[in-house]
Amino acid sequence: MRVVKILERLLATIPIMFGVAIIVFFFMRLTPGDPVDIMMGQGGAVSTGEIERLREEFNLDKPLLVQLWLFLKDALRGDLGYSYILKRPVTTLIAERLPATIELALGALLVSLLFSIPVGILSAVRQNSLLDRLTMASSFLGISMPGFWLGIILILLFSVRWGWLPVQGRISADLKLQQVTGFFVLDSLLTGNRQALISSLRHLVLPSITLGAPVAAVVARVLRSSMLETLRSDYVMLARSKGAHEWNVVLKHALRNALIPTVTVVGLQVGILLGGNMIIEAVFGWPGLGRMVVDAIFNRDFPLIQGSVMVYAFTFVIANLAVDVMYTYLNPKVSL
Amino acid sequence: MSGTELLEIRQLTTVFPTRRGEVRAVDGVNLRLKPGQLLGLVGESGCGKSTVLLSILRLIRQPGQIVQGEILFRGRDLRKQSGKAMRAIRGKDIAMIFQDPLSTLNPVFVVGEQIREALRIHHIVSGPRWPWPLDIAVRQNEKKRVLKIMEDVGIPSPMDRYAAYPHQFSGGMQQRALIAMALICGPSILLADEPTTALDVTIQAQIMDLMRQINQSHGTAIILVTHDLGLAAEFCDTIAVMYAGRIVEQGSVDQIVTDPQHPYTEGLLACRPRIQQREQRVQPIPGNVPDLAALPVGCAFAPRCKYARELCAQVSIPMFSVEDGRFSRCLRHTDFRIEPHLGWDEIVRL
Ligand SMILES: Nc1ncnc2c1ncn2[C@@H]1O[C@H](COP(=O)(O)OP(=O)(O)OP(=O)(O)O)[C@@H](O)[C@H]1O
Ligand SMILES: [Mg+2]
Repeated sequence: MRVVKILERLLATIPIMFGVAIIVFFFMRLTPGDPVDIMMGQGGAVSTGEIERLREEFNLDKPLLVQLWLFLKDALRGDLGYSYILKRPVTTLIAERLPATIELALGALLVSLLFSIPVGILSAVRQNSLLDRLTMASSFLGISMPGFWLGIILILLFSVRWGWLPVQGRISADLKLQQVTGFFVLDSLLTGNRQALISSLRHLVLPSITLGAPVAAVVARVLRSSMLETLRSDYVMLARSKGAHEWNVVLKHALRNALIPTVTVVGLQVGILLGGNMIIEAVFGWPGLGRMVVDAIFNRDFPLIQGSVMVYAFTFVIANLAVDVMYTYLNPKVSL
Repeated sequence: MSGTELLEIRQLTTVFPTRRGEVRAVDGVNLRLKPGQLLGLVGESGCGKSTVLLSILRLIRQPGQIVQGEILFRGRDLRKQSGKAMRAIRGKDIAMIFQDPLSTLNPVFVVGEQIREALRIHHIVSGPRWPWPLDIAVRQNEKKRVLKIMEDVGIPSPMDRYAAYPHQFSGGMQQRALIAMALICGPSILLADEPTTALDVTIQAQIMDLMRQINQSHGTAIILVTHDLGLAAEFCDTIAVMYAGRIVEQGSVDQIVTDPQHPYTEGLLACRPRIQQREQRVQPIPGNVPDLAALPVGCAFAPRCKYARELCAQVSIPMFSVEDGRFSRCLRHTDFRIEPHLGWDEIVRL
């Protein structure tokens, strides 16, 4: 039953992806800035004949609706076109970059949960203690601090001053890693490459912390306030009246209920982890989707933008679906 | 004398600091409970009944605290027990049925497992205690006991209901599940906080029957907390009437019902709906429940009392022993004189 529902939801992502792509299609063409002009501006003087030829090649000479039709027709077959600038298939470009972005997002998610869950629990259990005040104050910092700033500080300390962790990239340049999935940590495990595993994990640490810090701050706060509520509930009293140990009461009865609202918030944050990391990718020289999309926007590289946006929409919907599925496991009153 | 008591509460005082000042939710309460006894604790909403029960289990929420008194369970003062010793008593020797079944059941766990929890905590079923999932043998035996008790408390088809969630139970079934949870370890005292308030009349009668059966077959002593004096009179042998954190009158059911000593008890009896005398209108007690953060020196009921005299509001009124095992905190039926040298708040009975 659940599987059928999940498949239904997956199928429903297809119209969502196209809807988003169509919106982006029009927005990009309605904003000023012509891709061919921008390309020419970089190349210097070119004849008008050359410009016309490029326009024709990119279908930019045709009416807008025809362009849209051509784009949708190809996209349905899985062909997202060629990047104007990079001159390579959009699908290939995305396939190269997406694993890096997802790997970083997962790293950041892991780091933020490892931090925020214990902190959220402890500061609720010891409400108004020194620990509670300190962590809530620092979580406020975590929310309000710009990501690139934290990234630079971390690089200055851990890479430049102490030399513990690498400055940038996904893996040491001198290491050879056979690519299977494009996820370096996973590939190192699959090929049994210990050195590559260590190197790719070390490269992940600082960007994950930088990207995960604001997420950790938000999740810790939400978990704390939901824990405060569940700790006051009658069912927690019932558990105590049965003779349960306080930690059992906290970690089983209170936490299991407090996770329900927290999971929703984590789900929203996953979207930010996937789509809001352009600056952090730039600071850490992380070869992910974000930087490529920013460049594509500046260059009016329409096919690349449209393709990337569709992928963003897809990952977003998948993340939401994952949250909804988890929600049904956490909350017996809800089914998909 | 006190050797025969299962539970004896002496001068129990529990306070909650609030923004408006210190709320004395329980103020100098004395109670005695013998094995198998049925004691009713009756009073209006907010008079501190639940707080008495939670104090017994030492489950008062911070920053509330027990500031005075002794709670002797089998002669041991529960206030002096360690956290570990208290946990060993909770659920095993003294179990509680809470007021509101729906909010008391944990919504995310199946009912059967919630009933099994106390068995697991107190290692009631013997067997090798291996970590999950190797503890199958013990778990199976525990489950059998849970199914048995579910049947005993009248939950139909326990096999199916074991894995159901609380929201899939009706109110009556939720209450039965809570009773099963309280009974699973065979406690000697059951603290029942308004076990039937949330239920309709027929279910209420069934639940009270069930509690009586438990009392008779297992000899479980029960403290029944209710705002319904009629219900307490039907069910209990002894009744303590509570007003504004204090016990104002205590005695056997017959004594309380036929010859109330305290005007508040009289008021409660008058506002009990009587089916036989349909003509007679229910008479609510005039006035409001007092503010527990600003209690008067004297009788807290004085402002609502038609017999009140000047003195009632001025002196703190002690429990008078009316006859054996019968107490009242009222000057009305008592001859007394004021001993000037003892001060205003010392009253000596003649
Ligand atoms: N956690 C708390 N913090 C502050 N005040 C409290 C707290 N718990 C109870 N009180 C106060 O103590 C008084 C007694 O409350 P209690 O719940 O014991 O009353 P009750 O007789 O059980 O009432 P009801 O019939 O409504 O359940 C009330 O005035 C209430 O406001
Ligand atoms: Mg109550």
